[in-house]
Amino acid sequence: MKMAASRLMTIAKKEFFDHIRSRKFLLIFGILLVVAIVGMIGGIADYNKNVDDYNKHQSTIDSPLSSYMPEKPSILSVFSAVATYLVFVGGILGIAMGFDLVSKEKESKSLKILLSHPVYRDEVINGKALGGIAAVGCALLIVLVIALATLLVYGIVPDGNELILILIFGLVSFLLIFSYFAVALFLSTALDESGSALIYTMIIFIALSALVPTLANNTVTEFVIGSQPELPQELVDQMQQSANSSEVAGVTVTFSNKGNNVNNGAWDAFTEKMQAYWEKRQMVHDTLALFSPTMNYESVTTAITKEYSGTAMVLGGSGSTSVVSSFNVASGEDAGIDGILATITANLIALLLFPAAFFGLAYLWFMRLDVR
Amino acid sequence: MIQLEHLTKEYNGVRAVDDLTTAIPDGEIFGLLGPNGAGKSTTILMLVGLIEPTEGRCLINGLDVARDPITVRKQIGYMPEDVGFYPTLTAAENLTYFGRLYSMDEKILTGKITGLLEQVGLEGVTKTVGGYSKGMRQRLGLAKALLNNPSVIILDEPTANLDPQGVADYRRIIRDVAKNGTTVVVSSHILEEISKVSTSVGILAAGRLVAQGSWQDLAGGLTDRSALQITIRVETLDPMPPIAHPDIVSAEYDRDRCEAVIVARSDIRDAVASTLAGQGIRLRGLAREGRSLEETFLSYYQVAG
Repeated sequence: MKMAASRLMTIAKKEFFDHIRSRKFLLIFGILLVVAIVGMIGGIADYNKNVDDYNKHQSTIDSPLSSYMPEKPSILSVFSAVATYLVFVGGILGIAMGFDLVSKEKESKSLKILLSHPVYRDEVINGKALGGIAAVGCALLIVLVIALATLLVYGIVPDGNELILILIFGLVSFLLIFSYFAVALFLSTALDESGSALIYTMIIFIALSALVPTLANNTVTEFVIGSQPELPQELVDQMQQSANSSEVAGVTVTFSNKGNNVNNGAWDAFTEKMQAYWEKRQMVHDTLALFSPTMNYESVTTAITKEYSGTAMVLGGSGSTSVVSSFNVASGEDAGIDGILATITANLIALLLFPAAFFGLAYLWFMRLDVR
Repeated sequence: MIQLEHLTKEYNGVRAVDDLTTAIPDGEIFGLLGPNGAGKSTTILMLVGLIEPTEGRCLINGLDVARDPITVRKQIGYMPEDVGFYPTLTAAENLTYFGRLYSMDEKILTGKITGLLEQVGLEGVTKTVGGYSKGMRQRLGLAKALLNNPSVIILDEPTANLDPQGVADYRRIIRDVAKNGTTVVVSSHILEEISKVSTSVGILAAGRLVAQGSWQDLAGGLTDRSALQITIRVETLDPMPPIAHPDIVSAEYDRDRCEAVIVARSDIRDAVASTLAGQGIRLRGLAREGRSLEETFLSYYQVAG
């Protein structure tokens, strides 16, 4: 047992140092650091501006003109920009670390030599994964430390809860990178050439980062649940006649028609249908999103950084509805860590299962690999 | 001691190795000879435990390779045909990594690596293995095969890329380790290489072991396929006396030209010279003709094919 652990650690240690000494890792890690710092600085500027706006609003809270109550800006919003960059650069980093991990050894014939030593195959594949995990962990730890240091330099001190959320942010960022690392590792194991492994991993990355979100937002949902309900002509006519038509501003959605001269019964029926439609649509979207690490990551980081996510409806001038942007059903209240965790649990589990599944495939494939 | 018992390997229904049974005693340098595709590498991969036999088993020092691969691999040193190392590491770093997989003591390992690199002529080479020539990599491969003081060394085409000095070094090292009781299996399709270093040979053709034994045994068993033609010319006024030797298959005497052409199973030139000298007859010429060693072994392949 001790010997097995020693062999595993020997392999993991070599892999770790191979990663952190490789040019591609250093290059992508450098880019990651730069975008993280740039993102942090931009995020801090936005945060300070929002804090100013919030403070200004607080001072005019007694004004009768003030009907809008903004939320207090969260320090986590600073990480929003970092997440935007990380979702792409992190994915690339994971792929760069994994795509030639086994195939390179097949190409250089060192795998045959390695496996002729007193090591079990599972020690080799586990050691490779462990070395990769350690390198990703180190890279992210450095990014997080620099991010926190940047916050402190700008005089922003996170409290305990915010620190926990920052750690969760780090964890999901790690899981995102590890997800694509696991995909790359699997293809590196299954294919004989690193070039092929890279191309196929990139195809999967693009599919999961761009294709699935597109399908989740449009094609598949339309196919599964049909098109959205049309506003009854009766209501359209009434709304056009109404001088006091529905007001739409930004992403604020209101189905309220109080004070309008529209048919309340017809309007209530329509909003009910519409609500049911959007709930179904959200469910299909969320279910599909579970299969994409990128979407899961975006959902989690959005929940953490309190950005608005999901899908919003805006009533257009003609009275028809259209999807305009991501939204979150904002409760207007701080959900707290428990609330956020409850929101992101499914995404977190999916982010854990995704790399586990691909690592499992890589493991099985490697165990049966024909070494000739 | 290596034992192969009915060793068989099939790839997609095609038998690459077919019912191979043999035993190689300790301290033997066993040459596994055969043309390309004869099943040499497949046999070696099964010996090392990198692929599992479809049928049969390999035993090394009494241990089943498939059942107890870790213990077996601790006792063997292996160098594949296309020996590959980690290109970003130096020779010493590569060997250190592999030595750690043998759980060798760090101090012993460092000393061992220094000695081995000197032995294979790579001492003082500080560049990473990525910059090595094929021959240098093969030298390093030999050092790696010797790293764990193995009781069995398995080498697949070990001299394919070596220069003459490298080949000479390799032969010297292999003979030295065999003297210490290490069993060596050398696979090659180059007859000369096998003949120069091995003490016994197995001929593999179409996946089957068609012959095995010492060089003398094999030559003896070749009969007509391997018959040597020895032409004897003597200086004598009398008729040339008949020469008796158990390996003579046939003999034709041309008394007018004082010449005899003998077909024998083995090279009996020394015996002929002694016999004639004993009778006071001076030799004018004693030439071996007929098939070369390579042609002789080729006939084995043809028979098997």
